[in-house]
Amino acid sequence: MAADGHGHSPIEQFEIKELLPIDIFGIDASLTNSGAYMLVALGLIFGFLYFSTGGRSLVPTRLQSISELIYEFVANTVRENVGSQGMQFFPLVFSLFIFVLVLNLLGMIPIPGVTFTVTSHIAITASLALMVISIVVFYGLYKHGLGFFKIFVPSGVPLALYPLLIPIEIISFISRPISLSVRLFANMLAGHIALKIFAGFIGVLLGAGVWAVLAPLPLALTVALTALEVLVAVLQAYVFAVLTCIYLSDAVHGSH
Amino acid sequence: MSPADEGSDRNEGQISPEERAEFKRRSAEIGRRLDAARPESGKSKSAKGSQGKASNELLGRALRLSTELIGGIVVGAGIGWWLDTYLMPTVFGVKTWPLMFIVFFLLGSAAGMLNVVRSGMKMKTGPSDPTKGKPVPDDEDGVI
Repeated sequence: MAADGHGHSPIEQFEIKELLPIDIFGIDASLTNSGAYMLVALGLIFGFLYFSTGGRSLVPTRLQSISELIYEFVANTVRENVGSQGMQFFPLVFSLFIFVLVLNLLGMIPIPGVTFTVTSHIAITASLALMVISIVVFYGLYKHGLGFFKIFVPSGVPLALYPLLIPIEIISFISRPISLSVRLFANMLAGHIALKIFAGFIGVLLGAGVWAVLAPLPLALTVALTALEVLVAVLQAYVFAVLTCIYLSDAVHGSH
Repeated sequence: MSPADEGSDRNEGQISPEERAEFKRRSAEIGRRLDAARPESGKSKSAKGSQGKASNELLGRALRLSTELIGGIVVGAGIGWWLDTYLMPTVFGVKTWPLMFIVFFLLGSAAGMLNVVRSGMKMKTGPSDPTKGKPVPDDEDGVI
């Protein structure tokens, strides 16, 4: 019953569509719906920050206080997790946080046939995580030289355990970008699939004769799930920013 | 004192000694009242805020911990599989399957556990609590 028509497959919403074919010397650089959403997000972020801070009044207007709140929130997160030396990374963490946040929230706005959650693709989240971890490694090497690799050497442990513990530490370090990217991508993907499936139940039940009396149940669940998904969208952006800070703190402070 | 009185005082720019004394008394009074009110309001606000923050953070922690463990296992198993199927047979010409896979799967599980314990420790010391911001580096010394 649900299989007919379009838009009923729960994973159809993640399909990447080519909007504007661009070919640069054989490299496919076409504008897709993913790219378009990212451009929209960038425009929204830039426009919002530009206009909300344009007045720069001492007593902030509503919009200005929103951007000041976001600024202070991220600044506190960086200070608490990296320390005040970490404030040089504030622009990075702020950009990551607000980019992920806006993309997550844009994916929550339902526009039939258009809605797309950029962060539900692992290509995007893995690129962000790899960028973070490369910055950690390169900044750590630049600041501490080869001493940066001391983060792999546990302290206060008998020498005999080193052959066992160093591989564990290295695997633990390598798993960071993976868990960072998989966490964001899996949460967004699973949440949107669950939303779509439960929303699909409403239509199926309505078309099933007597069973239509049960249709309000999935409807209520969908409403609740939507609220949860908005929470998850904000929370995942926050978690991404916090973990970026924690990893950066290794690069700034070196081994312990 | 009505706002009109204050306005006229300011306009004249001249304050009699009694008015000056009265003003001092009032400013001291308002200072006392502010001091009395501030810690209370600050306390109640932070308590309420931290409660709301706590439930959000708990959910964040739960979501974070689950992937930490899986990440370690996946990376460990992946490295072991790569060593077995690519590096050992083609570069060193040794057939090790499934030895490396098993060893690195176990190491990866340990790394996953380590991730979980470590982020759990970080949460316990509460890096998000500004008043406890200082002890965190000390604590890390002991743990890592």
